[in-house]
Amino acid sequence: MSTQKNVELPDIGDFDAVDIIEVLVKVGDTVNENDSIITLETDKATMEIPAPFAGKVSALSVKVGDKVAKGDLILTLESESDQEEESPEEKVESTQSDAKASKDTEPEDTPTQEKESEVQKEELSLNTDSSYHASPSIRKLARELGVNLSGVAGTGQKGRILEKDLKSFVKELVTNGNVAEEIEVIPLSRIKKLSGKHLSKSWNSIPHVTQFDEVNIDQLEKFRKHQKEKNIKLSPLVFIMKAVVQVLKRHPSFNASLDESGENLVLKKYFNLGIAVDTPNGLLVPVVKNVEKKSLIELSEELAEISLRAREGKLNANEMKGAGFTISSLGGIGGTQFTPIINAPEVAILGISRTQIKPIWNGSSFEPTAMIPLALSYDHRVIDGAEGARFMAELNEVLSNIMEMLL
Amino acid sequence: MIKTQVLVIGSGPGGYTAAFRAADLGKEVTLIERHESLGGVCLNVGCIPSKSLLHTAEVINETKHASQLGITFSKPKIDLEGVNKNKDSIVNKLTGGIQALAKARKVKVINGYAKFLSKNQVSLDGTDEVIEFEQCIISVGSRVTKFPMFPFEDKRVMDSTDALLLEDIPKRMLVVGGGIIGLEMATIYDALGSEITIVELGGQIIPAADKDIVMPLFKKAKKSYANVFLNTKVTSMNALKKGIKVEFEGKDAPKTDTFDKVLVAVGRTPNGNLIDADKAGVNINENGFIETNKQMKTNVENIFAIGDVVGQPMLAHKAVHEAKVAAEVICGQKSGFDVLTIPSVAYTDPEVAWTGKTEKELKEEGVKFEKGVFPWAASGRSLSIGRSEGVSKALFDSKSGKILGMGICGTNAGDLISEASLAIEMGCDMSDIALTIHAHPTLSETTAFAAEMAEGTITDLMPPRKRK
Repeated sequence: MSTQKNVELPDIGDFDAVDIIEVLVKVGDTVNENDSIITLETDKATMEIPAPFAGKVSALSVKVGDKVAKGDLILTLESESDQEEESPEEKVESTQSDAKASKDTEPEDTPTQEKESEVQKEELSLNTDSSYHASPSIRKLARELGVNLSGVAGTGQKGRILEKDLKSFVKELVTNGNVAEEIEVIPLSRIKKLSGKHLSKSWNSIPHVTQFDEVNIDQLEKFRKHQKEKNIKLSPLVFIMKAVVQVLKRHPSFNASLDESGENLVLKKYFNLGIAVDTPNGLLVPVVKNVEKKSLIELSEELAEISLRAREGKLNANEMKGAGFTISSLGGIGGTQFTPIINAPEVAILGISRTQIKPIWNGSSFEPTAMIPLALSYDHRVIDGAEGARFMAELNEVLSNIMEMLL
Repeated sequence: MIKTQVLVIGSGPGGYTAAFRAADLGKEVTLIERHESLGGVCLNVGCIPSKSLLHTAEVINETKHASQLGITFSKPKIDLEGVNKNKDSIVNKLTGGIQALAKARKVKVINGYAKFLSKNQVSLDGTDEVIEFEQCIISVGSRVTKFPMFPFEDKRVMDSTDALLLEDIPKRMLVVGGGIIGLEMATIYDALGSEITIVELGGQIIPAADKDIVMPLFKKAKKSYANVFLNTKVTSMNALKKGIKVEFEGKDAPKTDTFDKVLVAVGRTPNGNLIDADKAGVNINENGFIETNKQMKTNVENIFAIGDVVGQPMLAHKAVHEAKVAAEVICGQKSGFDVLTIPSVAYTDPEVAWTGKTEKELKEEGVKFEKGVFPWAASGRSLSIGRSEGVSKALFDSKSGKILGMGICGTNAGDLISEASLAIEMGCDMSDIALTIHAHPTLSETTAFAAEMAEGTITDLMPPRKRK
């Protein structure tokens, strides 16, 4: 045995006649609670109306194109879950002509009693908490709309939740889905808080320009492979560090910083490179000093060692000071390009993305070529566009013809 | 057999409200009442007759104190029949009004005692009549708690219902229980000329309220009454020919004393277990209350319960609001009982009223609060009416300044407290109340002054602290 239950259009906000643009079920379909049954379209949004309970569709009262309003019958669901609950009642009815007969029905009532032994929680959101600011009439409206007011931002005086706040909250909900998804608030790590301040200061005070390029590193890769066969492991980064130093020597204004007045450029006669390292707690930039004096192998070893200590949180403050230029490599992770933020007071930074094999025209055919994407962000107050492009072109030249590093 | 959509059992303020609201929302409603007249305890043997008698007492007391105003009345002659007639006519007017409203709404009123047969039927006790319902609202209220150790079989030992009958004016009367009901009856009998003794088990009268709010009433009672014994237990009560002999156990009380009449007002017991609720599968807890959710629904889907029978506070105004919720939920509305406060009032002289949290509750809960206390001695209006003993206390959240509770003792405190209840529901803070212009000179000003005391902006007194 089963019962027929009508499904009516629930309160969907301030609309009188809304078009049905889709009917998602047909007679005979079985729907679960919260399955969408029809789609409505208002001038603001489309919304799907869910089934309030499970059951089999026994009658459809609407079709596409109908206009409906709150309380209109949409369809009838044959619900089977009520079977057990209903049958004892029916038995009561059939024997109730005599008051004494109720004694006979008592055993029949037992399953009902067990089933209903606990007071059920309300089926609606009750706002009995006084932590937010909402008058009784707004709490009533919230109850009717099924809104938990603790998630609604009040725009009235002293944060009072107004009727319009509630309506726009519901509209938002209908348009964008559940805005009340679960969230968690966690504090930022100490490093992120510190670097965040520094980054936003750089981003806000320096006019950034980012120059992109791709460099053919076939030659470099061939050399690296050859060394690897001899068990000497060199990353592309150390080559880039060497090449950068080579180009910095020719363009001293890139190995520099603006003084505090913003009127003088401080040129550095040493070649110290900051290397951005990703650590579990956030971004750290240890400095590799005197890069021009170190061999590729020495750089490789130092880089491995300094990165490890950065990840373990064992760097001391001095090891993160004194850079003239910074390199940030995300090549190991992926991406075609990104725009790095200058590590002020430095005036330029180089970003490296992942090497890709690309078909490059060699004059007669396309040749598979290892191309590494580079992005150079520079301080436009210090460096003009032509100089930035020249720096990148020369870096490209040195990296693609590694013999030039010897010059 | 009678069939109905909604059956309401009990026609007190909760019951008739539920019946009328459900009828107004389109249901076919049957209301069962075991007594002859509608209205329950409140209208027949509670709020209304007691307020009628309290007004009588007030008039007597006013004439007594009129000499300060330069007017002297001779000793009043009290005609008990006349007093009772006035009381009964008020009660009859109201209960008759309910009867008329029921008729106008086509609510079927049945006189009888309903007992459940199942989750869809009740029988009328002592008859073969069975009423079948789709939904039921239980509003069967509460009854006076009667301890078997007190000899109620003797007419000189009264409960509040007996006392309201006002059959005579005893010379010496003992009131057992210093709660609202006991104190209100003491006020009436004192004005009529009885010599009153109050005995209370706890450390203060009206134990639920804050002590400072009760103090003006306590001081007045101490002065007007023969005795007020706190922390005192009645250990035995014997009906003797010369009176009711009572034995006490307490520091200040005598071992024994004899009174012409004794009123026992030690609380009320819910009537949940008098209606065979178990046959419907409705759970009754160990205290006799029916448990419900905030939509007033019991553990049985189609049975609701409201008022005294679902829990404390046992107050008509709580029942009325619960009644509307139950009726509306039955009629498919998304109603719920989500009020932030239920005010309490003792219609004593002076009145005591409180709403929201009391100071002691806030302390227990560890809530940080600020209070503003305004003594009515600084209120022009209060002095003009010769009543300067009152006090208004408002409690605010330390952080937000939002009002958390209020307590008032003084003339018309029961009427004055509504402003604070509204302020709590609306989430007002101390400046909202202080900045609202209250008419001068009124007693209602004292609420604004309490807020100004907390704010430090008061000028009619020295502010307890300075603020910008």
